[in-house]
Amino acid sequence: MGITSVGKVIHSFKLLLPALIPSWRFFDVIAPSPRIEFTLLETEDEAPVNWTEFRPRPQRLSVIQMFKRILWNPHWNESLFLVSCAERLMAHPTEHSRAEIQNRISRDLKRNEDMDLIQPYLQFRLVFLDRQGTEIKKRVMYMSPIHQHIENIV
Amino acid sequence: MTLEFAICLTEILTGFAFIQQSMEHIFAPKNEQILFIPRIILCVFLILGFETEWVSLALMALALLMLYRFQGPYNGGSDRMSLLLLSCLCLVHFLPEQSWRELVFGYLALQLVMSYFISGWVKIINPEWRNGLALNDVFRYSSYPVSEHLRGLWNWPKLLLVMSWAVILFELIFPLTLISQPTLILGLVIAATFHLANAFLFGLNRFFWIWLAAYPSIIWLQFRIFDAF
Repeated sequence: MGITSVGKVIHSFKLLLPALIPSWRFFDVIAPSPRIEFTLLETEDEAPVNWTEFRPRPQRLSVIQMFKRILWNPHWNESLFLVSCAERLMAHPTEHSRAEIQNRISRDLKRNEDMDLIQPYLQFRLVFLDRQGTEIKKRVMYMSPIHQHIENIV
Repeated sequence: MTLEFAICLTEILTGFAFIQQSMEHIFAPKNEQILFIPRIILCVFLILGFETEWVSLALMALALLMLYRFQGPYNGGSDRMSLLLLSCLCLVHFLPEQSWRELVFGYLALQLVMSYFISGWVKIINPEWRNGLALNDVFRYSSYPVSEHLRGLWNWPKLLLVMSWAVILFELIFPLTLISQPTLILGLVIAATFHLANAFLFGLNRFFWIWLAAYPSIIWLQFRIFDAF
């Protein structure tokens, strides 16, 4: 086992520690909440204008849909993972968090859109919502690098 | 309830909870499937009670690979409880002494109690939880409500204030349910209903199944403590 592999094992055990001695501080404070928005561009130099919210929540869910989600809720759980990635990206930025968000936007576009209509460059940003007094304020806290995503869909 | 029976029940419930979690990755990219498909197979062995010590160990190795793959838990608190359960199941199989095994299983039960009590404590010391504003914020702008329609609940501050205090008081009182088996069962039914509500309102379905899997440990601990007197 090489030094890199040993490092990976040690790193994984470090990630395990918060599970062995958990803090259980669920919802102790309601922190600013991230939304992921993306834009598609024709060229690397194009200035982004139109931003689209990634995976906006549905207007309504029926009680039957809510019941089904007790057993099968992959899309929502993936979205919550992306919320974690967005929070990690602000707390301690890593290539991993950026790539997770970027690849999943690309994958959704590939699934849902006609590939011929998708522009080749992708950029995403993180908008954080927070209450200041009685008003909800939106702040753009992160802009990803522009990325040529068509060849890089996982 | 004997320790062996509680462990067996925990293994079965954990197996089902892990299968539910893993099935949600079945259409994910290949680098996720490669971790979750073997996990489903191992969980079938865990449920059937086949070589559970080695199956638990293999599941633990997979869990470490998943932690590395996602650079932390995929699903926050529910993954943390999954890892805690799995770590305790591994240890109870490989520790040589019965008393050590009881200590480990007792630790799992204690953490289950703490998961409610600490959550209640951090809320009651926060004035925004006490006046209902925190739950209002959860519905108004957090990432959790599963539909825009549900967000409308932020317009019902009195209802949210009642809901806030109901959650806080239940979480703080939960340790007291240990005083007898009927109160504990009642406490666990309320707790499971609470998780079910969270699954409905916030889509936190994995919490429901994995917390349920830890319940045999607390039922065993209550029996173990009061049986001694």
